[in-house]
Amino acid sequence: MATFELYRRSTIGMCLTETLDEMVSSGVLSPELAIQVLVQFDKSMTEALESQVKSKVSIKGHLHTYRFCDNVWTFILQDAQLKSEDFQENVGHVKIVACDSKLLTQ
Amino acid sequence: MATSSTSNVYVHVIEDVVSKVRDEFINNGGPGDSVLNELQGLWELKMMQAGAILGPIDRSAMHKAAPGVPITPNPVHDLNVPYEGTEEYETPTADLLFPPTPLQTPMQTPLPGTARTPLPGTAQTPLPGTADNSSFYNIPTGGTPITPNEYSSALDNGGVPEMKGGAGRPSPYMQPPSPWLNQRPPLDVNIAYVEGREDGERGASHQPTTQDFFTLPSGKRKREDFPPQYHTGGYIPQQDGAGDVLSDDLEVIQGSNTRYDSVNSNQQMFVLGGKLSSMIPQFDGPIPDPYDDVLSTPNIYNYQGVANEDYNIVNTPAPNEIQAATPAPLPLNDTGDDDEDEPLNEDDDDELDDVDQGEDLNTTHLILAQFDKVTRTKSRWKCTLKDGIMHINNKDILFNKATGEFDF
Repeated sequence: MATFELYRRSTIGMCLTETLDEMVSSGVLSPELAIQVLVQFDKSMTEALESQVKSKVSIKGHLHTYRFCDNVWTFILQDAQLKSEDFQENVGHVKIVACDSKLLTQ
Repeated sequence: MATSSTSNVYVHVIEDVVSKVRDEFINNGGPGDSVLNELQGLWELKMMQAGAILGPIDRSAMHKAAPGVPITPNPVHDLNVPYEGTEEYETPTADLLFPPTPLQTPMQTPLPGTARTPLPGTAQTPLPGTADNSSFYNIPTGGTPITPNEYSSALDNGGVPEMKGGAGRPSPYMQPPSPWLNQRPPLDVNIAYVEGREDGERGASHQPTTQDFFTLPSGKRKREDFPPQYHTGGYIPQQDGAGDVLSDDLEVIQGSNTRYDSVNSNQQMFVLGGKLSSMIPQFDGPIPDPYDDVLSTPNIYNYQGVANEDYNIVNTPAPNEIQAATPAPLPLNDTGDDDEDEPLNEDDDDELDDVDQGEDLNTTHLILAQFDKVTRTKSRWKCTLKDGIMHINNKDILFNKATGEFDF
């Protein structure tokens, strides 16, 4: 089953990657097993986001850059405003990377 | 800093991952449970250091833990197995096991995944240089690499455009490929041409060169620079000029090939049935064998000493047009030639580029999600995202749905 490696770039994904890197470098863990862990992370993360998260967010801003390549949209926004029922944030510069949700179901 | 809800989700994910890979670690000669626990402990430690999860980790909320499970960040235990006992209990916390490691970001191991989603950084776009170069240069690889000098002499016809001749024919003024050139040794043109031999060879041999042969009053060629060795005893094929007529004078003139003054006879005699399409020998560089190569390489005309690297010229029409076009970029290039006087302004965009690259992770606000739909109306973009992680202002926020409205 294909997974989105997208979430490996998140904080949790980076922490996992760093941990695995350290363990592989020190020889405690084999690279193949590390890859399996990452793939499992992809699945678990995707599943958790679907099932455990219920919030809705709106994003507004000035689109500075847009790119669509390999079924991945990359937007760079400036002066973005993110709103949710819980919070509101303003950022001067944010990057959005989005994979096609239909690919997972193929 | 994460909210409690995101922290909970993260902890849940960690435990989910660990529990699902536990089999791999334990069975089939894997590294074992301890390594797995070490992995989890280290992972959670980093998360806490990054502020993504709030410690202490309240696992009792996550699952029905066995009583007595300490709330401090302990290695997780398998839910399906009764809590194991002191040994595990006494497993030191990650803090004890691993002194706080410097949070250096190791080189990201390019661990291949099953899905080839774009890796951090860039999407896999084809390199613009390689992809586009081929289209910028219409020069086929098999084209004739005629050197500019020789070619310009070949085309020196008083500035008349060289792309004459019918469609499908090369310019009469150019040097068509002469594959036959390699087929026969050059014949001495001064040798009286034997008729019998001529008949047999006429159709076959496109006698090479005729150096003087090209000093036609039409002024179409100047072949003085051709080596004299190419004087052959045979007829000299010629392709220029319309209405080439196969003349029987060929025989007459064969013996006097040195006399190239008689234009008409020269023009006529060396055209045999119009089939001598590749008869004009070419000595200025390698000759592409297929005749059509010459036709399909109009860019050859670019070689006229003008190193025209204007990539905007994709199609090369008649050479005279090209020559007309080249002066346009030249003035622009002239300003660049004086490197000392005028800066090339190469670095103007570097600062802009750094804007995107120079931010460290903490300040790079990032949203990772899946998109359902992305639309655009004029300059108004709308998108619907789902299942995303946002890292904004050093905070992690998760969402199930998001709508975006951007103005480009």
